[in-house]
Amino acid sequence: MTNKENMLHVASSPHIKHVDTTTSIMFDVIVALVPALIWAVYSYGFRALTLTLISVASCIVFEYLYQKLLKKPLTVRDLSAVVTGILIAFNLPVSVPLWVPVMGSFFAIIVVKQLFGGIGKNIVNPALAARVFLFTAWPSKLSGFMHPFEDKLSAFSVSCGDITASATPLASLKTGVSPDNVTLFDMFMGNTSGCIGEVSAILVIIGGVYLLIRRVITWHIPVSFIGTVALITYLFPQVESVQPYEFMLAELLSGGLMIGAIFMATDYATSPVTSAGRLIYGVGCGLITVFIRYFGGYSEGVSFAILIMNLLVWYIDMFTKPRVFGKIKAKKTKEAV
Amino acid sequence: MAFTFRGGIHVPEHKHTASKEIKKMTEPKSVAIPLSQHIGAPCTATVKVGDSVDKYQIIGNVEKGLGCPVHASISGKVTALDIRLNAMGMNVTHVVIENDFENRISADIKPYEKSFEEITADDLIEITKNAGISGMGGATFPTYAKIQSALGNVDRLIINCAECEPYITANHRLLLESPDDIIGGVKILLKVFGLRDGDIAIEDNKPDAIELMKKKCADSDIINVRVMKTKYPQGDERQLIYALTGRQIPAGKLPADVGCVVFNAETCAAIYRAFAYGYPLTSRIVTVDGDCINEPCSVLVPIGTSYRDLAEFCGGLKREVQTIVNGGPMMGAAQWDMDAPVTKGTSAVLFLSEKSYPDVVDDYKCIRCGRCVRACQMGLMPSYTALFSRERKYDLCEKYDVMSCVECGACTYVCPGSVPITHLNRVAKSKINEKRKNAQAKEVKKNDK
Repeated sequence: MTNKENMLHVASSPHIKHVDTTTSIMFDVIVALVPALIWAVYSYGFRALTLTLISVASCIVFEYLYQKLLKKPLTVRDLSAVVTGILIAFNLPVSVPLWVPVMGSFFAIIVVKQLFGGIGKNIVNPALAARVFLFTAWPSKLSGFMHPFEDKLSAFSVSCGDITASATPLASLKTGVSPDNVTLFDMFMGNTSGCIGEVSAILVIIGGVYLLIRRVITWHIPVSFIGTVALITYLFPQVESVQPYEFMLAELLSGGLMIGAIFMATDYATSPVTSAGRLIYGVGCGLITVFIRYFGGYSEGVSFAILIMNLLVWYIDMFTKPRVFGKIKAKKTKEAV
Repeated sequence: MAFTFRGGIHVPEHKHTASKEIKKMTEPKSVAIPLSQHIGAPCTATVKVGDSVDKYQIIGNVEKGLGCPVHASISGKVTALDIRLNAMGMNVTHVVIENDFENRISADIKPYEKSFEEITADDLIEITKNAGISGMGGATFPTYAKIQSALGNVDRLIINCAECEPYITANHRLLLESPDDIIGGVKILLKVFGLRDGDIAIEDNKPDAIELMKKKCADSDIINVRVMKTKYPQGDERQLIYALTGRQIPAGKLPADVGCVVFNAETCAAIYRAFAYGYPLTSRIVTVDGDCINEPCSVLVPIGTSYRDLAEFCGGLKREVQTIVNGGPMMGAAQWDMDAPVTKGTSAVLFLSEKSYPDVVDDYKCIRCGRCVRACQMGLMPSYTALFSRERKYDLCEKYDVMSCVECGACTYVCPGSVPITHLNRVAKSKINEKRKNAQAKEVKKNDK
């Protein structure tokens, strides 16, 4: 017997594994986000790309430093920090100062993700928490929504003081009027003002379809989330000058609803694991979103809706625990006998 | 429409050996036959070192309790009674027989004295016990005991040829090459249980076997060939019974509790051979496969043959083996010894290299993707039971029904975070069993006082 033969690997079954890993899943998410990024660069200029790269780089650096300093196993390779980085940038207007995504990354990676135990353990979505943090800490820096295809910004333009800020379609809807000069088709394609990654509904949806095909996400959360918003906005439109369906579509296509429902609400760590739970969670997100958009102080409700539902995920999981094979039927057979 | 169940997973089938005829293995120079190859009490040796034994002669028997005898698979001389560790980590006596290549057959071997028409349940229990037949699908429950407990309680007989584990084609080849043995076994079982008809359940990835069986059974209506959807773990008897009858076995209960009895196809054939020819169970079909083996195929192997001899018979190894699996890759046990023997429960021996073997990650992370929850056909939440088990919160594991886990490995297979969920569940189950045992012991003590 040779020595090598003695070194057989003995482990608990199963002895084979599916090819998908955390890294491959995160890579798929990145691929799904690329179309929206390309659109942002095309419509807003290279500054969109610069902001995204700064955000991604700082997320990676913060995660690496935190784990290195605290002598924890390094998880940068799982690409989850990259996804967080992209999503933080996608939630910012293109005119923000370049240090803003760095602050956002710090908050997302260190405070929200790592302090709660790292990947899979965070209780709220890091990118969304960062967005809310930035919007409440520096509201003035984050309010300059540019109109696309006007004054495109070069990659490193630092000052954005003179840009012509325009109201987002959602802000117009909030005040009870139909957005000026923006058709539903513009909103669908992304020819409107908003955050970097959220303006083009069609490209976000294409990304979502890719994730569905790759089985990275299931349909439950996006469908129940968007469906709930659609139903309520159709039944209770707030703008009287247009048809209910037009108002509904405007609500669906504006703001962060699409990117929120497809990329943010489906974040694994902060969404339920059961299918029934995912439906409940999506409906909850939809209800809170509309509630905030109708009655809240902010024009945008998606981030808060998702963050609030994030906190309920464990309860939803417990509540929707699947029926265990052979549990209830057991009683029935006894009765039958 | 193929019969199926909720949940489960699709695994690459790797049925490379499905179209290869079963090869009869040339007898090895020596065999090491373990005296415990079944669930229950181990046998005590009935032979001594130096004894000359005939093929099919009894070499170990159980005096009382659950268990069945072990027979010599070759003729020759007993050279040692070795105590070795088996794959479960238990000390088991192995009877080592040096082959004399005379192929002397024990004089006791003859067809059963009664004819098919006269055979009764007690006769079949005697036949299966004397022939040392235990479940050949891997669970190795003594067949006579299964028949005993099922008598009078069942209205459905199911022969399990699902073979849902990747690689394994032993049952598939048996269906193609010895269909009459299986049908003969079914007829005996039907007679004993007093049933009119029985089911043969075959997964739809074996169309040739389905066709042959349907043709064979066309003229009689006592055997129904049932086509099952190819999905793992279709061959788990809980899912098989559920798919065919809609009955769910409660946790901790047996098929007989819902009126069903399930036999593995090869067990069924072994019952027939024991009745018709008097052969005890001394050889079985083993699928030899894996990316390290030169000529993968299904082999008829004498019990007690070492993996080393088996690999040699199949053309040797072409690259360095990292893992040897006894059974399928989903539920089989990894072996640490090339000289470990084939037993009655060995449906396959897989020689896998590091390429087909997943990296073991020490620092695994659950990302809560929910794939395990969707995969679990038992309706558990494996991500949670694994989490609680890792945190040693076994009470919570119990609350989340970890005791219903059948350790099929589907959750662990799909886990992108490489969490060893099945293993964590096993740990939790054994801890809970330990606790229950202790509680029971306390109760008994109290009552004694």
